[in-house]
Amino acid sequence: MDTIVVKNLKKEYKIAQKEKGLAGAVKNLFVRKYEILRAVDDISFTIPKGEITAFIGPNGAGKSTTVKMMSGILVPTSGDILINGRNPQKDRVHVVQDLGVVFGQRTQLNWDLRLGESFEMMRHIYKIPKAMYEENLKVMDDILGIEEIINIPVRQLSLGQRMRGDLVAAMLHSPSVLFLDEPTIGLDVEGKYAIRKFIKEINRVKGTTIILTTHDLGDIEELCKRLIIINKGKIVEDGPLEELVNRIAPNRNLVVEYYDENYVEHEQAKIINVEGNIVTYQFSKKEITGAGLICDISDRAKIKDATIKEVKIDDIIRIAYRG
Amino acid sequence: MSNKSAYSFIYKMRIQKALAYRFDVFANIIFQCIAMFATAFFWKAIYSGYDSVQGAGVYDMLTYTVISAVMSILFVTTVEFKLMESVKKGTVAMDMLKPVPLFSIYFFEDLGNITSLFFINGLPILLIGSLFIGMPLPADGVSAALFFVSLLMSFFINWFFAALFSLLSFVTINMSPLIQVKKHILRLLSGSIIPVWFFPEWAQGILGALPFVYIYQLPLDLYIGRYTLQTAMPKLTIQLVWLVILSGSFYAAEKSMTKKVMVQGG
Repeated sequence: MDTIVVKNLKKEYKIAQKEKGLAGAVKNLFVRKYEILRAVDDISFTIPKGEITAFIGPNGAGKSTTVKMMSGILVPTSGDILINGRNPQKDRVHVVQDLGVVFGQRTQLNWDLRLGESFEMMRHIYKIPKAMYEENLKVMDDILGIEEIINIPVRQLSLGQRMRGDLVAAMLHSPSVLFLDEPTIGLDVEGKYAIRKFIKEINRVKGTTIILTTHDLGDIEELCKRLIIINKGKIVEDGPLEELVNRIAPNRNLVVEYYDENYVEHEQAKIINVEGNIVTYQFSKKEITGAGLICDISDRAKIKDATIKEVKIDDIIRIAYRG
Repeated sequence: MSNKSAYSFIYKMRIQKALAYRFDVFANIIFQCIAMFATAFFWKAIYSGYDSVQGAGVYDMLTYTVISAVMSILFVTTVEFKLMESVKKGTVAMDMLKPVPLFSIYFFEDLGNITSLFFINGLPILLIGSLFIGMPLPADGVSAALFFVSLLMSFFINWFFAALFSLLSFVTINMSPLIQVKKHILRLLSGSIIPVWFFPEWAQGILGALPFVYIYQLPLDLYIGRYTLQTAMPKLTIQLVWLVILSGSFYAAEKSMTKKVMVQGG
């Protein structure tokens, strides 16, 4: 059964139009013109249990709005959402009991309390049985090393530590669905590594269905089997990362370094650049493998070195954003 | 499904937190005492040469002053600041997502805060007042009983008024000066510093129709014995009516605000 079903989801915002200058500001006090902004425009997808899915898209594409609607914070203008067969707006109490949400730019930890007390608060609010609470805390401590920061007041935590705390707080009640809105934003390499490890482990151990939005392509490469690209409120791509790469960038480059300037040609590869004894070939993955090409070329001439250049994932995503 | 354990946890948490800020504790005792002594000396000066003004003697007025100071401790609310912060930081929608109602959490935080304030501020002020100003005893047993009934309702009127006021956070840019203004206007209009029976006739009429006098004035009047059981009943009924009106309008306003947040996205 699909854990998350989203069908024809739409969200429109009414935005007051501001007119220029002082005269405009005065006029706005009395008469307001509204403009309808469609932030999410007819989105449909389903996510099976235990899958990690990434939502990516440029700023303002509608990712966060979609996540907010799925978590029940926002009411959609139209369309249906089902989380574990329940509607997050109508059946809020049940849905949130089985849902963890982390917004990377905001914290749900209590600023004045020790981290551990914020966790205790969660335990009471979500009515987590003591045994389960301690078990969960232990599992997460093994991955994130939370024990060493548990006695520090939240306001004294670094961003990376706070993020770890937020993740633990969201997972304490063992939700089957976890929404992460930019969980690695602003974190250093070590912090990102810890968060990614946590997401992978939680998904493996508990089978949690995870949706994350991110701008960090490292997150996607490491975590997600599936990628949903949203732009201007619409889904422009939906599928595994590999498939997307193969479709958008089916060609790869092979850079061969010869001993001298005598290079060879190959019927399945196009020469796109020659610089002295370094030649760049472009070939299609469908027609020939990289290894095959290197093999053929080295049969025909003596080569010193060969490297296959993958197209950068940044470039692929940029192409996908353009649509 | 009961949220009892969550509430008692929040309550205890808040007591601990209030005890953590030592400077606040001592500073508050000093400030409250200065205000209390100033008012007491003011009354002593006014009463020199008179036995009774508006049916109250100097001893009644001193009692009034001390009890009013202690009451002001019990009527401290933080719900306005809490909601303001939550709206400012943009976490309000997320806070509403919790399985426990947001305002219930705020209420129990306030209750915890008040409990600790009562012991660390209220009792010392009562003690200092009793030693240096005069032992504030209630007029008689009936007065004391009526006082506690009225005080309980006052407490809720005060809290619901604060909660209703806090909803302005959603529509104003800067809430904190408004909170200060509200606090002082409330203390002036409620008779907590100067009893409203010193105000001109017409002002008393207007204030009698507003909820404020039912926060401080009524319980204090009951305490110093200005009412008998019979004359107190109509007043207590009006107090109850105000409690119903304020709590009712709070629930209605809160519901529509929640809806607005959910539609417009906080």
